[in-house]
Amino acid sequence: MFPEEVLEHVFSFLTSHTDRNSVSLVCKTWYEMERWCRKRVFIGNCYAVNPKVIIKRFPEVKGVELKGKPHFADFNLVPEGWGGFVWPWVVEFAKGYPWLEEIRLKRMVVSDECLEIVAKSFSKFRVLVLESCDGFSTDGLASIASHCRNLRVLDLRECEVEELSGHWLSHFPDSFTSLEVLNIACLGSEVSFSALERLVARSPKLKTLRLNRTVPLEKLSTLLQRAPQLIDFGTGSYSAEIRSDVYSSLKDAFSSCKNLKSLSGFWDVTPAYLPVVHSVCSQLTSLNLSYASTQSPELTKIRLVVLDCIEDTGLNTVSMTCKDLRELVVFPSEPFVGDAEVQLTEQGLVSVSQGCSKLQSVLYFCRQMSNSALISISKNRPNLTCFRLCIIEPTVPDYLTLEPLDVGFGSIVENCKQLTRLSMSGLLTDRVFEYIGTHAKNLDMLSIAFAGDSDLGLHHVLSGCDSLRKLEIRDCPFGDKALLANASKLEKMRSLWMSSCLVSFGACKLLGQKMPGLNVEVIDERENLNSLPEYAPVE
Amino acid sequence: FFLKKITFVKHNTLPNMDVTLGLLNGGDDEDGGGVPSDGSTTNRSILTGSKEDNNNNNMVVMSSEVTSSSYPVVGDESLDGLELGLGLGIGGGGGGLKSKMVASGGGGGWNQYARILTAKDFPTSLVSKQNSCSSSSSVNIPNNSSSSGTKRTATDSVSPPNGTSVVGWPPVSKAHRMPSLASQLKSPTENFVSKPEQNKSKNRTVGLKDYLDERNGISNKKYRSVKVNMDGTLIGRKVDLNAHTSYEMLAQTLHEMFFRSSAEAVKPSRLLDGTSEFVLTYEDKDGDCMLVGDVPWEMFLSSVKRLRIMKNSDSNELAPRFEENNQRHRD
Repeated sequence: MFPEEVLEHVFSFLTSHTDRNSVSLVCKTWYEMERWCRKRVFIGNCYAVNPKVIIKRFPEVKGVELKGKPHFADFNLVPEGWGGFVWPWVVEFAKGYPWLEEIRLKRMVVSDECLEIVAKSFSKFRVLVLESCDGFSTDGLASIASHCRNLRVLDLRECEVEELSGHWLSHFPDSFTSLEVLNIACLGSEVSFSALERLVARSPKLKTLRLNRTVPLEKLSTLLQRAPQLIDFGTGSYSAEIRSDVYSSLKDAFSSCKNLKSLSGFWDVTPAYLPVVHSVCSQLTSLNLSYASTQSPELTKIRLVVLDCIEDTGLNTVSMTCKDLRELVVFPSEPFVGDAEVQLTEQGLVSVSQGCSKLQSVLYFCRQMSNSALISISKNRPNLTCFRLCIIEPTVPDYLTLEPLDVGFGSIVENCKQLTRLSMSGLLTDRVFEYIGTHAKNLDMLSIAFAGDSDLGLHHVLSGCDSLRKLEIRDCPFGDKALLANASKLEKMRSLWMSSCLVSFGACKLLGQKMPGLNVEVIDERENLNSLPEYAPVE
Repeated sequence: FFLKKITFVKHNTLPNMDVTLGLLNGGDDEDGGGVPSDGSTTNRSILTGSKEDNNNNNMVVMSSEVTSSSYPVVGDESLDGLELGLGLGIGGGGGGLKSKMVASGGGGGWNQYARILTAKDFPTSLVSKQNSCSSSSSVNIPNNSSSSGTKRTATDSVSPPNGTSVVGWPPVSKAHRMPSLASQLKSPTENFVSKPEQNKSKNRTVGLKDYLDERNGISNKKYRSVKVNMDGTLIGRKVDLNAHTSYEMLAQTLHEMFFRSSAEAVKPSRLLDGTSEFVLTYEDKDGDCMLVGDVPWEMFLSSVKRLRIMKNSDSNELAPRFEENNQRHRD
C-alpha cells in the first residue's frame, strides 16, 4: 500500500474523467483519496445527479462542466421549457464551492440571476464557457464583467443572448487586465467598439478574440494592432468597399500576428479582401469559413470548416494542399432547398479522403451519395474516428444503383475500427444496423434518422455496440421490443433519445418501473398516447 | 369576428395494444391480442394498414408523427431464416430466448403492433406513379437519379418552397441556418438604428439580427411547429408556423403536404374558404376547436396549439354555420 501522499501525487496526473472514475472504483481507500483531490468534475447529464451529492463527494473542486439538453435540442426537437436549468447547481456551488474557478456549460438555461450569483460568489472565478446556452441577457454579462476581477475566459459559443445594450463590455473596470479569451461571435447587436478597443489594449495576455458580425472590417486593423499576440482570431463582417488604405492596414495588421493559428468569422465576405490573410495562412491550423460563401482557400490547416460553396473542385484543391488536415466540416449554404446549385457531391469528400492522410473527423452535408463512394472513403481513411454524413433529403438511396446505403455505411464501420462517432442518413434498412452491431465496437455516439425497418435494427445496435453511450434516434420504426429486450444495456449508457418512433407510453412506464436506475422521460403534447421522445440518461 | 366552436369528431379507434413483458410470441394471431398486463395504457397511434381505408393521400410511413418519407420494405427473401428470439433481459439477464418470431413485413409476432405498409397495400395507380421517371412524381431528389424501378417506394419531398415541413431536418444548428438569408443583404451597417455611444440607457439596440428577422417576416420567437392531422389519414405532419406569414401561405403548405398526390385537385384557398370537402380547424389554448382564418394571423399564432383538417361531412354542427359562411364572404 502506498502512503496517501504518493497516491495523491500519482492521481494528480490523471486528468481524464473516465480515468478518475475508474480509479475511484478500485477500493475504498482509492475512492476516498480520489475524491479529495479531484479538481475538475464533469457531469454529462445535469439530471443524472443532485448537485449536493457532487459537492459532498468532491469537496475540493475548482472547475465544473455540465451538460443539459439533449443534442437534438440544437435542431428544435426539444420543446421550450424542457429544462436544463443551471440555477439549482449555481445556488449549491455558491454555498459549497466558494473557491470555484471555472464553469463550463453546454445546452443549459442560464438566467441573469445565475450569472449574478456566479459573479458575486466566487472571488477566484476565472473561466466562464457557455456553449449553446440561452436564458440570459447582456445584463448578466455586465454582472460578470463588473465583478469577476480575475476573469480570464469569457467564451460564448452559439448562445442566444437577449441583447439589451452594447455597454456591458464597459463594465470591465480599467484595472482589469487578465483577459485571455473573449468570444462574442454569437451576439447580434453592436457592442461598444471603444470599450472593446480599450479592453483589448489593456489585455496583454489575450490569446483568443472572436468578434461578432457587427464589428466592421474597417475597424479590424485597429484591434489587431493592439493584439499582435493573438493565436485565435474571429473577424466580424468581412465586407467593405474596396479601399486601398483599409486594405493595406489590414494586411499589415495580419502580418504582425505571428502567432495566429486559427481564423474564423468572415461573415459577408468581400473576396477582394481575402488575400490579406494569405500571409498568415501557412501557419494556420484551423480555418472556419462557414459563413463565407466563397470558394477560396488554398490554405494549409488542420481543421477546415466551410460551406458547400467550396464545391468539389475546391475540395479537390484542399486534398492536394492541406496535407495535415485532421477535420473537415462542410455545411450547406441552402439547407432547406431541394435542388442545389452548388456543385458539391460525394466526390469532394472522396478526394479529401484520398489526399489527406491524417483526416480523422468529418461532418459533411451533401445531396447525393453512393455505396461505392462510402466504400472508397472507408478504405482510404481507416483512421476515421468521427464520421457524420448528412444527405439533405431523408431516405435518399445510392444515386447510382438506387440501393440503400447499408453496404456503404457497413464498410465505414468495418474498416474504420476506431470510429467513435457516427451519424447516418440516406436510405437505410435493418441491414446497416446489423453491420453496425457487428463491427462498431468502439462506437460511443450514434445518430440515426429516418432509417431502419423494424425493431431488429435497434436490437442490433443495442446488443452489439459494446461501447455505445449516446444514442439519438428520430423518425425510425423502432418500437418497444428492442428497447425492452435491451433494457439492461440502457443502464450502461449516458442517454437515449427517441422521437417520432413507435415507442409506446406503456413501454416507457414499464422501463421506468423496472429499471430504477434510469430516468425515463416522456414528452408528448397529448395526454396518454404514443410517446414521442424518451430520454433515458444513466448514472 | 365570429368564433365557431366545433366538437371533435371521434376517430376510428385502433385496437387496444397492451405492452407487457411477456408479449413476444410468434404464434399469436395478428389482431394485437397478446398477454394483457396490469393496466397499461392503450396505444392509439400505431398503424394497422389493413383496417383503415387508404385514400389516395396515405403516405407510406410508420409513425403517426412527422415524416412523410416511406420506410422501405424489407423483402421477405432477405430475412427468411433470420429468426430473432428476444427474451426480455430485464435485470441484467441477457437475452433469454423465449420465443421466436420472424422480423419481416409479412406477418407474425412483430407485427402485432405495426405493420409496414407495402406497395401491395396501395392502389396500383400510386405504385405505378412511383415507377414513372418523370420529375412530376412526389420525389424531390437531384436530377441525376430517377425514382423508378425499385421495390422501395419513393420518398416525398422534404422541403416545400415555403418552409420546411420536417422539424429539425437537415440538422443544422441555429448558427448555420442564416447564411443564405444573410447573403441577400448588401450592406447591413446601413440599418443600425441607434449608436450605443449616444444612448446609455437600456433601450434595446436594434441590430443586424432584428433587421434579418424583420426582413424575413420571422417572429423573434423560436421556430414553432405544430402538428397537423387530417381526417382519414393516420399520419400526422408538422408545420413550422414561424416560417409562414399568412393564412394563404399556411394553406399552401398544407395543400402540398396532404393533397399533392390526390386525383382531385383541391386548390389551396379552398381549405380556408370552406368550399372544399375539407375544412381547416385548430385547437386553441383552451382546447376548443376553432375554424382557421377568423382571427388576425398574429392572434392565431399566439393561440394555436395544433391543426386539424376535418372532413366537412363529419362535422354536423358545422354544416349550418357553413352555409352562413358561404354567404358571408370571408375576407
